[in-house]
Amino acid sequence: MKLLLFLLCLFAGSAFGQLAWATTEQTFNSKPQDKEVVAKYKFTNNGTKPIKIQNVRTSCGCTTAALSKTEYAPGESGEIEAKFTFSGRTGKQEKAIMVATSASPEQPTILKLNVYIEETIKIEPEVVLWQVGEQASPKAIHIAIADDAPAKIVSVISDNPALKVKLTEVKPGKEYEAQIIPDSVAQPAAATVIIRTDYPPDNPQTKYAYARIK
Amino acid sequence: MGAFVRQAAWILLAALIPASLTAAFHPRRPVWSQETLAPGEEMLPTILSWEGSVLWVDARSADEYGAEHVPGAIPLNLESWDQLFPKFLDRWTPEKKVVVYCSATTCELSREVADRLRKSGISSVFVLKGGWEAWKNRK
Repeated sequence: MKLLLFLLCLFAGSAFGQLAWATTEQTFNSKPQDKEVVAKYKFTNNGTKPIKIQNVRTSCGCTTAALSKTEYAPGESGEIEAKFTFSGRTGKQEKAIMVATSASPEQPTILKLNVYIEETIKIEPEVVLWQVGEQASPKAIHIAIADDAPAKIVSVISDNPALKVKLTEVKPGKEYEAQIIPDSVAQPAAATVIIRTDYPPDNPQTKYAYARIK
Repeated sequence: MGAFVRQAAWILLAALIPASLTAAFHPRRPVWSQETLAPGEEMLPTILSWEGSVLWVDARSADEYGAEHVPGAIPLNLESWDQLFPKFLDRWTPEKKVVVYCSATTCELSREVADRLRKSGISSVFVLKGGWEAWKNRK
């Protein structure tokens, strides 16, 4: 009996007094023009004592976490609002928010925020490179437009006449190949390939690729 | 006395079972060694041994870079990629190893910039384990 009581005391600290989270992981699909995602993580103090949220940290400067107050009475609910600002990020993004409470200061709860930011216009590779003295053969840059994006390539130009661009449509309106053709690779040279689009209509994107002879 | 020892043994055993399970399966269990490297990460002593063949890239904010940075480092971050990446290319040569750092071990910016560089076609890209903090604390 004494042993049983001891074991109950041993586990009581971890079994009670925690915040109960409605969810600790959220996933969003976004477009680059959305600029940001806001996720709300709701919780309830299911314990018998007040719980103080001591610290909320995020894994990235691109993510902020806001809390209306820090102390929650037994039975009281609250939420943490996490805002992830894209700032040029595309593709799969995994951000974390670490919440340390008075109930478990050493074992913070980790809230996960997963965002897939669609890449409307994909350019691969972003850089084409020649070494000085190698053969002056053309190199290709592929430009692809996401299926559901009503975007068009308006123009593709090089800012250096010694590195010319020849654009070919591979799949009408959706895939292009830009051949970068150097006049010569005897000397170092640099060019920026400027890819103008008509999307989104209110603020059309300009993308860049780069050619270097080094 | 025998009963006391038996009871103590039971208590130890009862504690050992959850402790072992935690050590084996808990997602936030502490690492056994601080020297564990994530893919693409390198320790500062290794990087310093590469000597002149390193191009340092500072992935922190412009303010942090302006305050202090690794000598010779160039700023590059996702927010100002289109402005900063051409300047990076002007300094980069294929034989150089690119080492990206941000504030500390917990920051993600260096990994994000390193991933973007690799995706852009830049080879030999590494992340400094410990970031700027590791550089500041070097002996």
